[in-house]
Amino acid sequence: MSLRLKLLLLGLATLVLPWAGCRYAREMESALRQGESSSLLAVADTVAASLQGRVDLMYRAPVDTAAAQTAPKPGPYDLEPLVLSAAPLIDGYADDWPQLPAAWVWFKKDDEHRFGVLTGVYDRVLYVLLDVRDPHLVFDAPGASSLDPAAMGDRVWFGFQNREGAEQQVFFAASGPGTLTARRVEAGEYGEDLAVIEPRIRGSWQPTPTGYRLEARVPLSMLGGGFGVLIDDRDQRGAAPSSYGMLRPADLHTQGQLIVAAPELTTYLEQFAQPGLKLVVTAPTGQMLARVDALAQVVDLDSDPPPLLTRLYRRFVDRPGVRPPLESQAPIYDRDRHGLIGTLEVTQTTERWGRLRDRALTRMLNFTLATSLIAFVGMFAFAAWLALRLSRLRRASESALTRTGIVTTFPDTRARDELGDVARSFSTLLARLNEYTGYLRTLAGKLAHEIRTPLTIVRSSLENLETEAELSPGARTYLERARQGSERLNAILIAMGAATRVEEAITGAERTRCDLVPLIASAVAAYRGAFAQRRFSAELPAEPVSLEAAPDLIVQMLDKLVDNAVDFSPVGALITVRLKLEPGAAVLEVDNLGAPLPPQLHGRLFESLWQSRPHGSQSPPDPDTRPHFGLGLYIVRLIAEFHGGEARAENLPDGSGVRFAVRLAR
Amino acid sequence: MMAKSVDAFGFRAPRCGGSLSPMKRLIAIVEDEAAIRDNYAAAFEREGYSVRTYASRALALAAFGARLPDLAVIDISLEDEPEGGFELCRQLRARSAELPIIFLTARDTELDAVSGLRLGADDFLTKDLSLAHLVARVNALFRRVEALRRPEEPGEVIRRGALTLDAERMQAQWDGKVVLLSLTEFWIVHALARHPGHVRNRQQLMDAANVVLDDNTITSHVKRIRRKFQAVDPKFDAVQTAYGMGYRWAE
Repeated sequence: MSLRLKLLLLGLATLVLPWAGCRYAREMESALRQGESSSLLAVADTVAASLQGRVDLMYRAPVDTAAAQTAPKPGPYDLEPLVLSAAPLIDGYADDWPQLPAAWVWFKKDDEHRFGVLTGVYDRVLYVLLDVRDPHLVFDAPGASSLDPAAMGDRVWFGFQNREGAEQQVFFAASGPGTLTARRVEAGEYGEDLAVIEPRIRGSWQPTPTGYRLEARVPLSMLGGGFGVLIDDRDQRGAAPSSYGMLRPADLHTQGQLIVAAPELTTYLEQFAQPGLKLVVTAPTGQMLARVDALAQVVDLDSDPPPLLTRLYRRFVDRPGVRPPLESQAPIYDRDRHGLIGTLEVTQTTERWGRLRDRALTRMLNFTLATSLIAFVGMFAFAAWLALRLSRLRRASESALTRTGIVTTFPDTRARDELGDVARSFSTLLARLNEYTGYLRTLAGKLAHEIRTPLTIVRSSLENLETEAELSPGARTYLERARQGSERLNAILIAMGAATRVEEAITGAERTRCDLVPLIASAVAAYRGAFAQRRFSAELPAEPVSLEAAPDLIVQMLDKLVDNAVDFSPVGALITVRLKLEPGAAVLEVDNLGAPLPPQLHGRLFESLWQSRPHGSQSPPDPDTRPHFGLGLYIVRLIAEFHGGEARAENLPDGSGVRFAVRLAR
Repeated sequence: MMAKSVDAFGFRAPRCGGSLSPMKRLIAIVEDEAAIRDNYAAAFEREGYSVRTYASRALALAAFGARLPDLAVIDISLEDEPEGGFELCRQLRARSAELPIIFLTARDTELDAVSGLRLGADDFLTKDLSLAHLVARVNALFRRVEALRRPEEPGEVIRRGALTLDAERMQAQWDGKVVLLSLTEFWIVHALARHPGHVRNRQQLMDAANVVLDDNTITSHVKRIRRKFQAVDPKFDAVQTAYGMGYRWAE
């Protein structure tokens, strides 16, 4: 695993930041919810306390003060109107009413004749829906007076107490389906009955398959406590009615109460209303008395953040499901706290601080993700930079020891961090190594130089001695041996100093573009003459192989290779000189038959002063006094490197001999 | 002052003693190694030369102020002066343009040889050379000096095209212009030009020049010869390389 990858993995750790942020947001939401919940309870308690004993506010029937102390107990004729959320359209149809079968109150004459009442309150108006089951729907005679007994059909009476407590009645008499206005019976100027239109009470009459339906509205301002409905059922027009319902048949007085809150209750509650809050007051019976609902009016906290991003965040962060609203209840007691007169329910939508949390979450996620991204990118860049420096260092250290020279300057050696330290250490190490190598390289030359002076003393003394006439024959023999010994020593010294001279000659060499093929061909021809005891074969390409080279050096290198091949091959053996073309290089190979290279020699063959191979039985002892110091192959290496190439030695695949190959860059 | 007691000054009177015969040539050896100095002196004296030896540049200069020798053999490093020989050579050359000077040194690098020859030395020899060879070189140099002093007398002259080689005076000319060659270089050119077209291998060239050199030294000598001729004639290419064999003179 590369350093870059490791650092990137480490960079992933910064993703903990957004994760922790999400966790924090959730914790915060839960704490917020708890706090909101208790504050909601406080609101509920406060509002409920302010309503304590306010029966007058909560109920419309302050008939007697004793009764006003407590909540009315619903009797059989009492009605508990629904608190409607919208005004029904007075059209005789029930489809815009809440579909609540349990809220209907039914009154029955017999199996075929009965009616149900559904009442509701909206904005200081009482709405009444009657469903009358009557197999014989009889309308009034059109055009006739509604008080003409002969023209009377089915009719509906509303009886109620006005604000002063006086009983009043209105009736609906329809001569056909449609809207109609209630009328009340008043005594005329002469004591006669008059049907006076009551314009504030209107309704709509529609036949149904089972009878008819009447929908009507009565302003609450007309109503006191009591309210009732009575049906005059006639099987045919003008017949005697059979009346049944909630009013006393004798005088049409109300028997039941309308349990409905005073209109002021809503006004009262509205002062507590805020967006996202719902206040509901219910009677102990469970009937809703008033409601202020601002749940839907959640203020926009801000212009919507990018919804896609928010949705994306919520997908990862939120638990599935809708946030439930908060609810709180507080009882409303009577004045003496003896009994309940109602209950206050406060509901608060969580949407508001859900939005708050979303906004905070979004900001936090944006921030932390940006932080992560920056950290990530930063780490990536740092890792790349580090890897670059490391690989530069690696390349430099790899190439530092190749070729003849040692690179002692490193990239990053001026950097002041640990890598710079490493590079500097490397550089120092290599400088020392270079010094040492240089010392070793020049050691032979220096040694030769130092030995040369005493040797010259020995040799010149011996030569002077030779000229002395009075030497005995025995002394002459010793003198001759001493002279031979000193000659050999001299030859060794020359060879030892040769390396330095070769290096100088190579550095001073000039390159020209030349064709290797004729060069090598002529050299091989010369070898055939020079080494008559070996056979030579030249394998050269047909096309010219031209490159920038110093021809003198190339031939010198070939000389050394052939010398070496001759030394280590038996008499009569074939020596193959081969020039091959490879991409970007020309390869010069010299194969000789003979003993393979011992494995320990690999890689050291081309070193200076390495005794190439001990003289084996294959070549006769060298009569030449020039010692073999392996300088030949060192020269080969120097020349190969001068030409941007390399020299190597390997055994032939079949083990029959050795191949020396030199790559020359083209 | 130049009596026997001058041993203390590091120079040695000729063994044959007495006053310097006008016939005897005077060779000055400046060498800080006493044993070598004396051995060389003995060899030269055997040949009939007068020899004076000096251990340091200061001693040599003091003596040369009185009388210049006929030939000077100088080592490069002298006592505490690693380059004292070069300095001495420069001073001698300033005093006399004709005085033959030979460097005889243990230092054998290309750089030393080039520096020495550039300072006007007539030859640059290493101490590997045997005494017999050294004496032969000195004799040859004297012969050259002698021949130059008698310009009218024709010696053995080889002419190869633009090249004129006077073996007697050891002088080379190209297109009538003198090419200043060191003795070693002269012998190499001589060996090549005597048989134009024939390849002379390195060993043959070494034998001709009476020197023991390795292949690379021969190569650098040849290179220097080419440069010297090219200084006179930029189109010079008579010394050709026969790769793998040696060199030949092309006409």
